[in-house]
Amino acid sequence: MADFTADDILKKVQRSEKVERADLRGINLARAVLEGTSFARSDLDGANLEGAKLKRTNFKNASLREAYLAGADLSQANLDNADLEGANLERALLVGANLSRANLEGANLAGANLTGAKLAYAQLESASLGGADLSGAHISHAELEECDLSGARLRKADLSNSNLRGANIEEADMSEAVLSNAQLSETRARGVKLAKASLLKANLSGSVLANADLTGVDARDANLTKAVLNGAVLTGAKVAGVISSEASFSNIRADWLDTSAEGDGSRRVPADKVAAVFSKQGPIEPTEGVANRRYFGKGDVLRNASLEFDAGAFVEIESLFEQCTISLGSGTELVVGKKGVLSDCQIKGGGSITINGHFFEKQSPGIIGAEQVVVSAGGALVGAVEQPPHSTRFAFEPGCKLRMKILQAKKTNGEGRRDNG
Amino acid sequence: MDNHKNGDLGGKRTLVEEGTQFKGSLSSSCPIVVKGRIDGDVSAPSLQVSGTGAVHGKVKVGMIESEGELSGEFDADVVQLSGVVKDKTVVRAKSLEVKLAPANGKMQVVFGECMLDVGEMPSKDTAISSSRESDSVPANGLMLEANGRNGSGETAKDVLPGLSADSLGDDPRKAKSAPPPKRA
Repeated sequence: MADFTADDILKKVQRSEKVERADLRGINLARAVLEGTSFARSDLDGANLEGAKLKRTNFKNASLREAYLAGADLSQANLDNADLEGANLERALLVGANLSRANLEGANLAGANLTGAKLAYAQLESASLGGADLSGAHISHAELEECDLSGARLRKADLSNSNLRGANIEEADMSEAVLSNAQLSETRARGVKLAKASLLKANLSGSVLANADLTGVDARDANLTKAVLNGAVLTGAKVAGVISSEASFSNIRADWLDTSAEGDGSRRVPADKVAAVFSKQGPIEPTEGVANRRYFGKGDVLRNASLEFDAGAFVEIESLFEQCTISLGSGTELVVGKKGVLSDCQIKGGGSITINGHFFEKQSPGIIGAEQVVVSAGGALVGAVEQPPHSTRFAFEPGCKLRMKILQAKKTNGEGRRDNG
Repeated sequence: MDNHKNGDLGGKRTLVEEGTQFKGSLSSSCPIVVKGRIDGDVSAPSLQVSGTGAVHGKVKVGMIESEGELSGEFDADVVQLSGVVKDKTVVRAKSLEVKLAPANGKMQVVFGECMLDVGEMPSKDTAISSSRESDSVPANGLMLEANGRNGSGETAKDVLPGLSADSLGDDPRKAKSAPPPKRA
């Protein structure tokens, strides 16, 4: 026999009284307005709270097993250590809610909004979180084994030290999420977005990450044994210490990999050597790859110089270069920093050029044969770019300034003159 | 393409359907969507060219979003490009966006011989003075001159022998970088 009827509860709420340690099993409070009430340590097993207004309500240590909370507003609610096993929280609003140490085993949270929620040490085994929004949520040390996170949004969520073994994270957006030391073995992760996420020391053995976006991911010391990464994008991934034995990397896309121990881009492996990095047995050595990093600091001035950079080098210029000629080897990356200015200069060769600062040509064409030219939002390019025979890959960000001509690959006639036909 | 970006909120729009070829001047107060081909002058709030579409001529619009073929003169506030830009094309815009294609993937935009005038004219003098006014200029800021008058005149191989990050100013990120992670 329950301690209170629904009417009793509503009257107590109107009088701002607490309803703590009460037996409220099976009570029907659907769509009731109970905001700010304390149900701490109460037994609400099987209660119907569908669509209820429960903002900032206190359910600390309460039991809500098999409770029906679909569409309820639990924003900022305190569910610390609450027992929600098998509860239905479909489409519930849990923005900023405290679910630390809560038991959500087998709970249905599909489509729920959990942005900024606290779920540290929560038990979410076999829970359904498909399509849920967990952006910025704190889910460290949580148990998420076999749970469904397909299509969920987890941007910038903290899942460090969590256990997601066998979970479904297909098509989930985990960009910039923290998954360091997380257990992700045997996960189904097709098409997952992990751009700029931290997978430091994470265990992804046996996971299926086909067509995943791993751009700029920090996977240092991660375990990818027997993982499937076919068709994944790995440009800029930090991979020092990665174990990739028996993993599958067919049709991956990676313009370069970062093999530096610090993950600072100081050791880069160009696209044509990426396959070799993953084909070796044992952890990827931090010393492997390209160590040709050159940095020209702010305030320096270099004038009338001819510079050649070896294939695969990484060159960053924050200085003022005047009337210089720069030759880039194949796969060399030249970055003109925000303060960098190349005035009356010329760049030749098949490297990649990123302009965050300024480039002014000396004579036309100012850039010859570049594989890639990127002008970022704050960058400016004044000059002509002569493409190689297979065309340059261009990218321009909104906000860039251009006064540029794009020219086709130079065809020479018998007299060595440019043939514009 | 996202029609909402063009201010086309499901309202009226002028559609040149696939298989249709239009020759002459086209002026519209509605956004224009081209899946076929236009040869001539175009004036409208926005122009959307699909992957099957082509516009050849003089175009003056608020926004261009193209996945198709462009040729001629294009004036717009905002331009988003993929597809093909043919020879002798001029694009003038306040803002241009071309996304980077993956190294081994399909080219985002194939440019012929063309001109791009985007944003304000960059000022060389301002850029140089800004570079010199750097907030982290070392007290002994380095100046190198390598020419036939007072240098060897030889080509510097791989950043002039002996020159590296250490000698040309510290990389600020280097100083901030964390120690290598410990092995598990």
